[in-house]
Amino acid sequence: MSRTISAIWENTYGLLVDDGALAIGALAAVAITWLFAVIATAAFEQLGGGLLLVMICALLLANLYTAGRRIRQTR
Amino acid sequence: MDVLTLAVAATPSFIASSVEFVEALTIVLAVGTTRGWRAPLVGAALAALTLAVIVAVIGVALVTVVPRHVLQIVVGVLLLLFGLRWLRKAILRHAGIVALHDEELIYQRQVAELRAQGLRKTEWDWVGTVISYKSVLLEGLEVAFIVIAFGAGGASAMSAAIWGAIAAGVVVVGLGIALKQPLTQVPENTMKFGVGAMLTTFGVFWSAEGLGTEWPGDALSLFGILAIILAISWGSVRMLNAMLPSGAEVGARNV
Repeated sequence: MSRTISAIWENTYGLLVDDGALAIGALAAVAITWLFAVIATAAFEQLGGGLLLVMICALLLANLYTAGRRIRQTR
Repeated sequence: MDVLTLAVAATPSFIASSVEFVEALTIVLAVGTTRGWRAPLVGAALAALTLAVIVAVIGVALVTVVPRHVLQIVVGVLLLLFGLRWLRKAILRHAGIVALHDEELIYQRQVAELRAQGLRKTEWDWVGTVISYKSVLLEGLEVAFIVIAFGAGGASAMSAAIWGAIAAGVVVVGLGIALKQPLTQVPENTMKFGVGAMLTTFGVFWSAEGLGTEWPGDALSLFGILAIILAISWGSVRMLNAMLPSGAEVGARNV
């Protein structure tokens, strides 16, 4: 039973997370957007989506740059 | 069903599900050609039934019971995680850092493994049933997730997403039956790139809308978000090409 639960958990986790740093970064971006929504409600309606989009794009670029640099150093 | 629902629910669901069905088909074909068709077809049918129950129970419960903004945030965050995972891997593949997904190679490996295991003709082929069930269920879980995510906009979107996935299944299985070989001609890696970008786009859209943002043009802004994410992805491929001009062919788990 515990092996089945463990397999289900591993498959579900694997479905969503390949790189832990990227996943944590995405969650942090949503949390920052939520904080912005709480602090600046009026501005958030107009700017919240753009803020999240910019953070996600920056996160992806930074993650891939780090991956590329790490591989270059090991070769 | 209006054109916008079709564009933002059925089409992405069709494309994303096609990729998953192609992967599941490769394994079922490998089992069928090496060990006979009855056992893998039973396994695939049982997996399809399991998935139908999952989509029916979770999907319908989500769009009818959970408040819309809560659903948008939960689905949005899951889509962000799911989409970024796909997109990152697709970018690394296109930059030559991770090996491209090769259905023919996967098929040949699976066939060799199954032949090595042997088969007693008198017994029901449980190995074939289980392998087929597992592969269809695992790839199908991604399809179920995609359908639920793209259909999170409401009953009409859910219906469009389900029909998109069913159409993908019919097309892929139909082609598989006609050709009796893995669908190596399907531009799977390019499709995965597009699907990763689409899932991420929906993730950003739902998450922000669930938190209270009003996107300009509502669902039409999805096209703008997708264009920006595709541009960033293309830029990332160029960046990695510049950093590692000869590629790397690193194992996907080691990047």
